[in-house]
Amino acid sequence: MMPLGFTRLDFYYLLPELIVTAGAVALLGGDVLLARGRHRLLTWVGLAFLGAAAVALAFISGREGTVAQGMYSVDGFAVFFKLLFLVAAALTILMSHRYLDVEGARPGEYYFLVLCATLGMMVMAAGVDLVTLFIGLETMAVSFYILVGYIKPSRRSNEASIKYFLLGTFSLGLLLYGMSLLYGLTGSTELRTIATTLAGGRGGPLLALAVMLLVAGMGFKIAAVPFHAWAPDVYEGAPTPITAFISVGSKAASFAMLLRIFFEGLPAFRMDGLGTIFGQPLGWTYFFYVLSIVSMTLGNLAALTQNNLKRMLAYSSIAHAGYLLIGIVAATPRGVMAALVYLMVYTFMQLGAFAIVVLMRRQDVIGDELKDLSGLSVRQPAAAVAMLIFMLSLGGIPPTAGFMGKFSLFAAAIESGYVGLAIIGVLNSAISLYYYVRVVVYMWVRREEAAAPPVVMSRALALVLIVAVAGTLVLGVYPRALFDLAQASASTLGRADQALGLLR
Amino acid sequence: MHFTPITPYHYLLLSAALFSVGVIGVMVRRNIIILFMSIELMFNAVNINLVAFAALYRHEVGQAFAVFVIAVAAAEAAVGLGIILAFYRNKETLNIDEMNLMKG
Amino acid sequence: MTYHLLSIVLFTPLAGALVLLFVPRAQVDAIRWIANAFALAGFVVSLPLWNFDVQAAQWHFVEKAEWIPSIGATYYLGVDGFSILLILLTTLMGFISVLSSWEAITDRVKEYYIVLLVLQTGMLGAFMSLDFLLFFLFWEVMLVPMYFVIGIWGGGRRLYSAIKFFLYTLVGSVVMLLGILALYFYNHTVTGVYTFDVTQFQQLAVPFNIQRWVFLAFFLGFAIKVPMFPFHTWLPDAHTDAPTAGSVILAAVLLKMGTYGFIRFSLPILPEASHYFVPLIVWLSVIGIVYGALVALAQTDWKRLVAYSSVSHMGMVMLGMFALTPVALTGSIVQQLNHGISTGALFLIVGIVYERRHTREISDYGGLSKVMPVFAVVFLIMTLSSIGLPALNGFIGELLILAGVFVVNKLWAAVAASGIVLGAAYMLWLYQRTMFGTVDKPENAKLTDLNLREFATFAPLIALAVWIGIYPAPLLRRLDTSVARVITRVNSVYGPALAKSNCTTPTAPAITRPPAPTPGAPSLDLTGFAACADEAAPKKPGGK
Repeated sequence: MMPLGFTRLDFYYLLPELIVTAGAVALLGGDVLLARGRHRLLTWVGLAFLGAAAVALAFISGREGTVAQGMYSVDGFAVFFKLLFLVAAALTILMSHRYLDVEGARPGEYYFLVLCATLGMMVMAAGVDLVTLFIGLETMAVSFYILVGYIKPSRRSNEASIKYFLLGTFSLGLLLYGMSLLYGLTGSTELRTIATTLAGGRGGPLLALAVMLLVAGMGFKIAAVPFHAWAPDVYEGAPTPITAFISVGSKAASFAMLLRIFFEGLPAFRMDGLGTIFGQPLGWTYFFYVLSIVSMTLGNLAALTQNNLKRMLAYSSIAHAGYLLIGIVAATPRGVMAALVYLMVYTFMQLGAFAIVVLMRRQDVIGDELKDLSGLSVRQPAAAVAMLIFMLSLGGIPPTAGFMGKFSLFAAAIESGYVGLAIIGVLNSAISLYYYVRVVVYMWVRREEAAAPPVVMSRALALVLIVAVAGTLVLGVYPRALFDLAQASASTLGRADQALGLLR
Repeated sequence: MHFTPITPYHYLLLSAALFSVGVIGVMVRRNIIILFMSIELMFNAVNINLVAFAALYRHEVGQAFAVFVIAVAAAEAAVGLGIILAFYRNKETLNIDEMNLMKG
Repeated sequence: MTYHLLSIVLFTPLAGALVLLFVPRAQVDAIRWIANAFALAGFVVSLPLWNFDVQAAQWHFVEKAEWIPSIGATYYLGVDGFSILLILLTTLMGFISVLSSWEAITDRVKEYYIVLLVLQTGMLGAFMSLDFLLFFLFWEVMLVPMYFVIGIWGGGRRLYSAIKFFLYTLVGSVVMLLGILALYFYNHTVTGVYTFDVTQFQQLAVPFNIQRWVFLAFFLGFAIKVPMFPFHTWLPDAHTDAPTAGSVILAAVLLKMGTYGFIRFSLPILPEASHYFVPLIVWLSVIGIVYGALVALAQTDWKRLVAYSSVSHMGMVMLGMFALTPVALTGSIVQQLNHGISTGALFLIVGIVYERRHTREISDYGGLSKVMPVFAVVFLIMTLSSIGLPALNGFIGELLILAGVFVVNKLWAAVAASGIVLGAAYMLWLYQRTMFGTVDKPENAKLTDLNLREFATFAPLIALAVWIGIYPAPLLRRLDTSVARVITRVNSVYGPALAKSNCTTPTAPAITRPPAPTPGAPSLDLTGFAACADEAAPKKPGGK
C-alpha cells in the first residue's frame, strides 16, 4: 500500500474542489465581516470563486488518473459533470440575488450552503470509491436539507424541509445498507476492485439484494417513481432557486453517482447474474427499465393536472428522470453519452424555467401558480418568449436543445434493441407537450388579472435568462461541441472495465 | 455445553434484523422524532455490517467507512433536529400527518 | 458549391423574422411592409431554382457542411425537380398568405408576421433537406408556429383545434423519428457508417421485415399530415378555426409535407414494403376521396366544405402515388401543386367574404355575383380549377392520375372518377348557393368587390392555373428525372425502360409482385404522355 498523504499533483487535480471550498469559507467569513447592506456583494464573490473553479477545471480537462490512492478519479466524465455543476450553481446564485431580498433572507449562509452542495456534487461525480461517493452525497444532501427550509417564516418551506430530510435520510439508509453488502461480498469499497472481484462469479441473492437497495436508494435521489413522493412537495415548498438547483444539480449528481456505481462497479451484472425473473435472466438494467417506464408515464400523467407551476415542473422532472434512465437501460457508451447530453441540456432548460418562476415572485405575490403567468406575453414579452423556448425544449421540440437530448436517448434505446422503451418514450414526450403548451396558452392567450403588480426583470435574472436561452438554442441548433464532449466524457467512464471486456 | 462460535453470519442476521426494525418503524410510526430514530437504527445496522465485514477481511476499510457513517449521521442529526425544531415552533405538533399544506 | 442558393432561399424568411424582432410593436405599418418585403424577396430569390438542368438525374444546388459529425448528421441540402416545384409553391403561397393578412390581422401584428416567416423557413427546410435528421428538425419546427397561428389568431374553438392539430401531428412525427432511427442503425450494421444521408438510404436494400415496420412508422407520420382517411379529423377543425393565411398555408403547403414524405422517403427507401402496403393505402385513399366528397356535400359552413374537399383531393393524390406507375406518380405530383393553387385560392376566397361579413354559413350568402362581379369571376375560375375542367390545372393532374391508375386497376380508377363527379357536385352547388340567386340578405347588398391588394393575391394563382392547364409541358419536363428515380426504385418493371430513356413507353410484362398491372391495358396508356409531351417543346438552357 502506498504511503498515506497526497502528492503535489493530487492538489493540482483537486484544485477546482479546493477553490469551491475556499469560496464557501470566504462567503461565510464575508457574511460575518461585511457591514449590513453590503451583503449583496456576496453574490459576486460566490460567482468569482465558481468562475475560478471553472478555469481550474479547464486545466485538468483531458487528464486522466486517480488521486487519493484510487478513491477519487480525474477523468473526462468527472470534468463534464463538474462543469455542469459549476454552471448550475452560478445560475442559481444569480437567480437568488433578488429573490433573497424579496424573501428577506440573509445571503451569506445561503451562498455558503450552495457552494457546499456544489462541492458535494463534484465529489459525487468524481468518486470511484463507495466511501467517497457517500461523503459527497451527504455533503450535498445536508446542505440541501437546510437550504430547502431556509425561508424560516414560510410553513411550506418548513414542511418541505422535513419531508426532504426524512425521505433523504431514509433513502440514504437503504443506499448504505446496499453499499455495506457490496463491501461484504467483495472486501473492497473501490468500484474498480469490486468490478474485478465480481467479474467471473455469479451474483447470488445477497448481491441481488444489494443491487435492489442501491437501485432504491438512487431511485430516491433521482426522484424516479415509485421513490418520487418527496419531489412535488419539496419542489413546491423550497425557495425557488433551490428548487431549481435540486432539480438540476442534485439530479445530475445522482445520475453521475448512479453511473459510477453501476457502470464502474457492477458492469458484469447488466443483463444477468442476479437470478431470474419471469424465466428471464435478471440484471440491473431490468430494474431501471421498469423505473424508466413508470417514471415517464406517471410523471407525465400527474403533471397534466397540476395548476401550480413548481409542482408541474416537479412532476415533469420525475418524467425526465424516466427519460434519462433510458440511457442507463441501454447500457452502452451511446446510452451514457445520451444521458450526459440530456443532463447538460436539461440544466439550461430547467434552470431557465425556474428563473421565470423566480421572476414572477414579487412583493406579496408568490407567483408560482399557472394563472400568474396570464398575459405574460404582454407584460414581459422577452420573458414569455424565453419561457416558450424552455417549454418547447422540455417537450423536445426542435430546434431546441431538448430535442437533441431526447433524440440521442431514443437513438441509444433503439441501438440496444429497446424499441418498446423508445416507443413509450416518444409517446410520453407527446403527452408531455400537452401541459407544456398549457403554460404557453396562459402566457399568450389568457389575459392578465387587472390588479397584478408589474413584473420587473432584474439585471441578474436577465443574465440567467440570456444564458439559459442561449444554451437551449445553441445546443439545439449546433450541438456539435456538446456531442463531442459528451462522447469523450462517456468513453472515460468505466475504462477499467472496458479493459476487462465487460462493457461492449 | 456446546457453543457455536459467532460467525459473520450472525452479525449479518443481527444487522438485517435491526435494519428491518428501522424500515418498519419508518413505515408505521407517525411521530417525526420516532421516524428519525428508526432511520438511525438503519444506519447502525449498516455500521454493524461494515465492522463485521472488516473483521472478516481483516482490514481497516470497513471500520473507516463505519466511522464516516457515524460522523455523517451525527451531522445529519444536528441538522435534522434543527429542522424538526423549526417545524415544531410553527405547528406545535410532531405528527407527520399534520403536514398538509401542499397537495396534488 | 460556391453558390448557396438553397441556403439563401431557406433563410430569407428567417432573416425577416429576426429583423421584425427589433421593430417596435407599435409601428404596425412598418412591420407589415417589412414582412411583405421579406416574403416577396423570399419568392424572388427562389425563382432561379426554376432553371435547373432538367436532363440531369443528380441532385441540384447541393450544399453540404458538417453539423454533428459525432453522429453523422450533416447540413445537407439538395433538390430535384419535384422539390423545386414544391419550394416555388411554398415561396409563392408564403408571400400570398403574408399579403392576404394585411387587413385581416390587427392583433399582435408583430408576433403574427414573425411566426408566419419562421413557419416559412421550416417548410422550405423540410423540402430541401437531404439529411434525415435535418429534415426532421425542420419538420418539427413547423409545428409550433402553426399552433400559434391557429391558437392565437384563429376563431371559434381555436385552442381546441390548435392543440388537436399539434398533438396529432406530433404523435405521428415522433413515431416517424423512431423509423428514421431504425434506418440509421440498419445502415450502420450494413455499411459501418453512421449517417442520416437520405441519398445513401435510397440505395440501401433493407430487409423486408425491417421495411415493413419502418414503413408503418413513416406512414403514421406522413398519413396524419396528408391527411389520409382515418387520420383526417384534425384537418376540418384546424382549417375552420385558422385565420385565412393559416388555412392557405396549411392547405397549400403543410399538407404537401405528407405526400412529399411518401414520395421522397417511403417509396424509394422502402420499395418492397410500399408494394406490400399498396392495398391498404389505396383503399384508405379511395375511402378518403368518396368520404371527403360526401361530407363536403353535407356542409353548411363554407370553410369546412373546402376543408373536406381537401381530404378528397389529397386522397386522389395518394391514390395516384400508390398506383406506382410513372404516369400516375407524375399526375400525383402535378395534382399536389394544383391542390396548393386551387384550394389555397378557395381559402383566400372564403377569407375575403369572411372579412366583410364575419360569417361562414353558406346560407348567409346568396347572389354575391351581383354585388361582387370580379370576385365571382375569380371564384368561378378557382371552382372550375378545383373540379378539373379542361384548360385549367386540375384537369391535367386528374387526367394523369386516372390514366395511370386505370392501367393498374380499373376499379380504383372508377371509384376515383366518382369522387371527381361528387367534387363537381359540391363545388358547383356551393357556387350556386353563394353567388347566384337574389341578394335576399340586406347585409350582402353593400359588400365591396375585391380591392387591388386582394386581387393581387389571386392574380398569380389564376395565371398559374391557366398556364398549367394549357401548357403543362415545362412543368412535366421538370418532373421526369424525379419520377424516374422513384419509380425505378419502387417498381422495377419500369426500371430498365426509364433508365434507357425517359420517353420510352414501357411494355409492361406481367410482374409477379402486387399490384400486377393488367396486361393489355395500354389501350389508354399515357405513359409516354407524361414523359414525352414536351419532347417537341423548345428546350430552355438548363442549369446554373
